[in-house]
Amino acid sequence: MIGNDIVDLQVAKEQSNWQRRGWLQKICTSAEQKDILSSKNPEMLVWKYWSMKEAVYKAHQRRFKLSPALNPKSFECTLVGKVYIDNSVYKTNTEIKDTYMYTIARISDKDYFSSVYENIADIRYEAKKIICQKLNTHISLICFEKDNNGVPTIRIDQKTTPIPISITHHGQYSAFVALI
Amino acid sequence: MNKEQLLSKLRVIITPYVQNEEGLQNLNENTDFIKDLEINSANLVDVILDVEDEFDIEIDNEAMEKMLTVKASIQVIEQKLKAK
Repeated sequence: MIGNDIVDLQVAKEQSNWQRRGWLQKICTSAEQKDILSSKNPEMLVWKYWSMKEAVYKAHQRRFKLSPALNPKSFECTLVGKVYIDNSVYKTNTEIKDTYMYTIARISDKDYFSSVYENIADIRYEAKKIICQKLNTHISLICFEKDNNGVPTIRIDQKTTPIPISITHHGQYSAFVALI
Repeated sequence: MNKEQLLSKLRVIITPYVQNEEGLQNLNENTDFIKDLEINSANLVDVILDVEDEFDIEIDNEAMEKMLTVKASIQVIEQKLKAK
């Protein structure tokens, strides 16, 4: 199971004031707040934890077929990258750049492919181009399907078993990760 | 406060965060904040805080979990106002 999340750091700065009274308390557990407030760069850790929570939310929702929920505080992040939710633990990797932060969350060590894009019109088309190369098929045979909870999968020629894919977009950045 | 009054107050609260204007024009009970209005998920937390300030209520985690649509939000606000 897999999930991803990208944060455009410039856009995040414009859209959100993480220091707004009550904001951090709605999102972060007391242990996370402690990590953030004692960090050298609290703002960066806020967005790192946020993207970890979002990426794990997607993987967890897919795994247990959960309805959408606004429950960031249920996901507890740690500085070493593990995230706890209910009785599950997820591994995350966060790529930190000057302009964006990108997290991939997963439960197993299965191979995956991921790519980040800047300023592209259609992330789904870019993803299809890569998937058809990797799976040695034609782009016209690839389609993305969403289940009732809005969780997307890849189908090849309407026949094969669905392959998990997670897509994220924020500001100038888009990314996808797929178990291919 | 009736449903129409609640809805119009909610409209004012969410407007600054909406990225899909068309969704805002068609705002109704079934509107989904993320799918229809393209509100960024981090800004949903601002919506919750604004709702708390506007109605002078406290939204606990359990109530917050549900607040992804207009309908669910109005239900939460009504419950919390009743309990005041």
